[in-house]
Amino acid sequence: MKRILALLILTLLCAHPLLAIEESAIPTFMQSNIDTITNILRDKKIPQEERSKKIFTIFDSIFDYTLMSQLSLGGKQWTALSTSQQAEFSKLFEMKLKISYMEKLDLYTNEKMVIKNLEKIKDARIHLTTHLIKNNEVYEIIYKFYKDKNNNWMIYDVDILGVSIIQTYRTQFADVLAKESFSSLLEKLKQPDEPAPKKQ
Amino acid sequence: MRFILACLMSLSFLCASDYIETTAHSSDDFEAEFQSTNNENLFDPLSGYNEVMTNINDKFYEYLLKPTAQGYAYVMPQMARNGVSNFFDNLFFPIRLVNNLLQLKFHNSLQETERFVLNSTMGILGFRDVAGEELNIKTHDEDFGQTLGYYGMGSGFHVVLPFFGPSNVRDIVGISVDMWLNPITYLEARGDANLLDNTGQAIAATAFYTVNKTSLHVKEYDNFKKDAIELYPFLRNFYESRRDKLISE
Repeated sequence: MKRILALLILTLLCAHPLLAIEESAIPTFMQSNIDTITNILRDKKIPQEERSKKIFTIFDSIFDYTLMSQLSLGGKQWTALSTSQQAEFSKLFEMKLKISYMEKLDLYTNEKMVIKNLEKIKDARIHLTTHLIKNNEVYEIIYKFYKDKNNNWMIYDVDILGVSIIQTYRTQFADVLAKESFSSLLEKLKQPDEPAPKKQ
Repeated sequence: MRFILACLMSLSFLCASDYIETTAHSSDDFEAEFQSTNNENLFDPLSGYNEVMTNINDKFYEYLLKPTAQGYAYVMPQMARNGVSNFFDNLFFPIRLVNNLLQLKFHNSLQETERFVLNSTMGILGFRDVAGEELNIKTHDEDFGQTLGYYGMGSGFHVVLPFFGPSNVRDIVGISVDMWLNPITYLEARGDANLLDNTGQAIAATAFYTVNKTSLHVKEYDNFKKDAIELYPFLRNFYESRRDKLISE
């Protein structure tokens, strides 16, 4: 009996530190990600397609696309959808984000990216501030992490120059849904190239 | 013994339920984080007009400004265009100085003055940004809209201006005050302090400045615009968030 008790206490004691991934590891973890990505970008020999594939493998492990889709649509709209609609929307939204990012990569020349600051906002939120340096000018990019169900730190939003990506989509989606149906929103997400022409 | 065990077990369950509760809460947290600027409580009385003006401005950019800027870029080498851009930025020094002073940012005001003196002389009328390149003295962009925001004035509703693009009530007040400090505007009331002789020259100078600046950023802007699903809310959100950020700095 005593042994069981001891074991129980021991597991209780150990459970916490074992579950949590050290937050202090985030900067080094992200720096190594950034370095890997920069190396992939600098290596002009890698064909475009393979390059984005490699980069997205890294992204998939740190971005919580489902939560991002949910937040960009807003809780109320999200819960009103069926599971299959949610899945379809998430998929399209993930594509949209990736295509947008890939287009940004075309502009990449020789920018440097450095990690500036790690700030704990509250228990389950961390903001990682990075600086992108281009032609002597500094652009601030903040990656926002949250602790998910499995105690992994995942990115749910990115602030570029003070503009939240999720918020940007959220206002647009709300605007579309105020005037049109959910299926037309899906249609718009499918044509990533042009902002859909206005119906008069 | 069993009792202690039971206690411990229930304790661990308590911990677990605590945990479940916090994760359930966190989705509310997320909602709260993005709710503040959501459409439902957004005051946008001019949305109809704004949307139309956004489209007009976009057409103006696509069919007039962009081709002009690209043609200009074709004949003017990038180095010259950077020089022109530096020249104008140097001219706008009074706007930055006054607004830095109004916001009590004395160190920044001093740096702005250093930049102006160095760039106007060694940088040959500001064409070269000597202070930035050699001495790493950065510019501190402030305008009167930011000054008003600094003293707590809210942004008011969003207004899309012809040609100028996205703005809001506060920033329109800001623009009209900054015009007094802007050397390339012409204001009769300013009398001899005017650098240019008449409104025509002022418009020409502003147009030249705009075409030159656009020519340096066509690629970025086009790329940025591709992200839009609905152009008006996209630009409105970008503008308002960006201004809030600039004011907070």
